[in-house]
Amino acid sequence: MYKKKENLYGYIFILPWIIGFLGLTLGPLLFSLVGSFTNYNVTSQMDFVGFANYKEMFMYDDLFWTSLYNTLYFVAFSVPLTTIAAILISTLMNQDIPGMRIFRTIYYLPAILSGVGVYLLWMQLLDPSTGLINQFLALFGIDGPNWLFDAEWAKPSLIMMKLWSAGGSMLLYLAAMQGVSKTLYEAAIMDGATRVQMFFRITLPMVTPIIFFDIVTSTIGSFQIFQEAYVMSADNAGAPENSLLFYNLYMWIKAFNVFDMGYAMAMSWILFIIVLILTIINFKFARRWVHYEGD
Amino acid sequence: MKKYLFLILAAVLVLSACGGFQIGDSEGSNASEEDSASGETEGSDAEGSNGEKVTLDFWSFWGSEQRRPVIDKIIEDFNSSQDEIEVQHTYVPWGDIWTKNLAAIAAGDPPDVIINDINTVKLRAQEGQMEPITEFVDSDVENRFYDQMTEATMYEDEMYALPFNTDTQILFYNKDLFEEAGLDPEDPPSTWAELEEYAAQLDVEEGGSYERIGFYPLIGAGSDVWMMNALGENYISPEGDVKIDTEPVHDTFNWILEQKNKYGENTITSINSQFENAQQDPFMAGNIGMMVQNANYYVQLRDFGQDINFGVAPLPEKEEGNGHTSWGGGFVAEIPKGAKDPEASYKFIEFLTNHDSQLYWAENNFDLVAHQEAGNSAAESEEFSEAGREVYSLMVENMDNTLLTPQPLVAPDFASTVNPTFESIISESTTVEAGLEKAQSDLERIVENNR
Repeated sequence: MYKKKENLYGYIFILPWIIGFLGLTLGPLLFSLVGSFTNYNVTSQMDFVGFANYKEMFMYDDLFWTSLYNTLYFVAFSVPLTTIAAILISTLMNQDIPGMRIFRTIYYLPAILSGVGVYLLWMQLLDPSTGLINQFLALFGIDGPNWLFDAEWAKPSLIMMKLWSAGGSMLLYLAAMQGVSKTLYEAAIMDGATRVQMFFRITLPMVTPIIFFDIVTSTIGSFQIFQEAYVMSADNAGAPENSLLFYNLYMWIKAFNVFDMGYAMAMSWILFIIVLILTIINFKFARRWVHYEGD
Repeated sequence: MKKYLFLILAAVLVLSACGGFQIGDSEGSNASEEDSASGETEGSDAEGSNGEKVTLDFWSFWGSEQRRPVIDKIIEDFNSSQDEIEVQHTYVPWGDIWTKNLAAIAAGDPPDVIINDINTVKLRAQEGQMEPITEFVDSDVENRFYDQMTEATMYEDEMYALPFNTDTQILFYNKDLFEEAGLDPEDPPSTWAELEEYAAQLDVEEGGSYERIGFYPLIGAGSDVWMMNALGENYISPEGDVKIDTEPVHDTFNWILEQKNKYGENTITSINSQFENAQQDPFMAGNIGMMVQNANYYVQLRDFGQDINFGVAPLPEKEEGNGHTSWGGGFVAEIPKGAKDPEASYKFIEFLTNHDSQLYWAENNFDLVAHQEAGNSAAESEEFSEAGREVYSLMVENMDNTLLTPQPLVAPDFASTVNPTFESIISESTTVEAGLEKAQSDLERIVENNR
C-alpha cells in the first residue's frame, strides 16, 4: 500500500520530464517515422507514398550520397583527432607545476566560446590572403591553401577548427586522471617503470571509461554537424563544390527550402539507424578495451 | 527483479501515453486547421461590424537601423489613414522568419502579412502556404509593377502576392583608373570582347603577380548571371526545359576560364575572400577596375567610398545584338494560409505597394521598388545626390533587361543540384564539356522525376 503511493509520488515528481519527453521527443520521433512514408510538406499534404522517399534516396539522389560521404569523412577524422588531442592536453595539464591553473584556464577557454561568433573568427583566421594562419605559414615560405574556398581543404579546415575546442573534453579526462590512485604510480616507480610506461600501463587504462564516453558522444555529435557548414560555406548550402554539404545541412535544405519534409524525415531516420549501429558496435568493442575499476 | 518491474511499468506508461498523444495530436491538427481558420474569420467579421478594429500582425525582417524606421513610418501612415485596421509590426530575424512562418501556418496561427522571397512564390502557392489575392486585385494594382515581377506571383491563374522590391546586376567601373589607363571614362565596355580589351589595359602586373585586375566575371556575380546574359533567359525554363549543354553556355564557361587562367587562381581567391570577409573592399581600394554587382552596392560606395570616382553601365552583352540581359531577385508582401482576415490583410498589402509608400521606401533606402511609377519618380528624386540619381535611373532602365528566376516547380532545388558542377568546372576539376553534360542530365533527371 505504502509502496504504491510512493511510486505514484515518484511519477508525479518526474512528470515534467515525462511530459517533455513524450511531447517534445518521443511524439515528434514517431511522427517523423510516419511522415517519412508520406509526401508531407508541412502545410497542405500528407499522403502515404510507401518507400518512395527511401527509394529516391538510395537509388537516385546523388546529393544524399555526397552528404553522407562528407559527414562520414568528418566523423572519421574529427572524432579520433579530437579524442587524442584532448588526452594529450589533459596529460600535460595533469603535471604539478606552478601556474598550471592558468594553462588549464587557457586551454578550457575555447570550450566556453561557441556558436556563430567562433565560426566568424575562424573564417577570418582561415582567410587565404589576410588570415593569420596563412600569414604565419608564409613566414616559413609556405604558400598556404585556400582553406574554405578550396573543395579539398574545406573539410580539413572544419576538422582543424573542431580540434581547437578539445579543451571541453580535456576537463573530463583531467578529472579522471586526478582520480587515479597515487598508490598505483608509487608501486610502478618502485618497480622502475618509466613515465611513458606509466602513461600507457596506468593512466590510459584507468581513463578508458571516459575515452569510451567521449568517443560515443562525440561520434553522435559529429554526425549532427550543421551550424558550421551553414555559416561557413560561401552560399550557406555546402559550397565549394558541395564539399561542406553535410547530412544535416542537406536535410535542412530539403525540409525548409523545397518543403520536402517527408524526404527529410526519411533522411533523419537513416541517420538515426547509422548512428544507432555505430553506437552498438562501439558498445560491443568496449568490452575489449574499457576497464572499469569496479569490475 | 524490482528494477525490471519498474522498467516495464515505465515502458507501459510511456507507450500508452504516447498513443493517446499521437492520436489526439494528429487528428487535432488535421481536422482543426480549416475549422479554426473559418471560425476565426467569422469572429473578425463580427468584430468589424461592431465597429471594432481588426489588429493585423505583420512580419518583416527589416530590423536594421536604416530600414526599420522607414517601414514603421509606412505602417503608421496606414494606421492613421483609416480606422478599421491596426497593423502591428513584428521584426523576425532574417535567419528565422520563413521557418517560423511555416511552423505558424502548420499550427494554424500565422501572421496576417509577411514579407517573403519573390522567386519562391509559386512553390509556396503550390504547397498551400498562402492565400490567393486575385479577388481583391484590380487592374490598376496589377499594372503597377514590372511585368516579370507580377508574373512571378502567379500560380495557376491566381495571383498570390504583391511585389515589393527588387534589384538588378549592373557594371561598376572606376573612372579614375580608366583615365590612368588611357580609356575614356564616359565610354564603358558594352560587349564581352570590350570587357576583355579594357581589362587588359587596366591590369597592373608586377613580378608575375597582379597588383590590380581589370575585370574578372566571377567577382560580385555568379556564373549563373553570365549564363543568363549569354542565353537571354534562365538555363531552366519554368516548364523545365534545360538549356545547359548549349553553345552559349559552353562559350560562357570557356570565356570565364580564359580569364581565370590569365589572373591565376590565387589572385582571384584572394580578391573574392576580401569581399567575403568584408575587411577591405577591393573595388574601393582600387584593386579592381570593373566589376558586376548588385546595383544596391551603390549604397556602400556612397557611405564608405567617399573618394572613389565611379561610373555605372548595363551588363555588357556577349556579342553585339545578343542583349544586355541581367538578373534580379526581390521580395513580395503576401498573406499566409489561414490568416484571420485576408481582405484586411490585402488592404495593408495594397497600401505597402502604392505609389507614395513605395517612393518613400525608395528614397530612404535607395532600394529599387516594384512600383514602376514610384521607381521613375525616385530616379528624379531630390533626396539623392547626382550620382545617386544616375545609378537609380540605370536601375530602373535596366529592369527592361532584368530576368527574375522563379523556382521551376518541376525542379525547385535546381540550383543546389547544378551549382556544385558549375563550381567544379570553374575550379577545373572537370572539363567544360563533361561538366555541362553532367549538369544537363542531372537536371533533366530531376525534372523527369518530378513530372
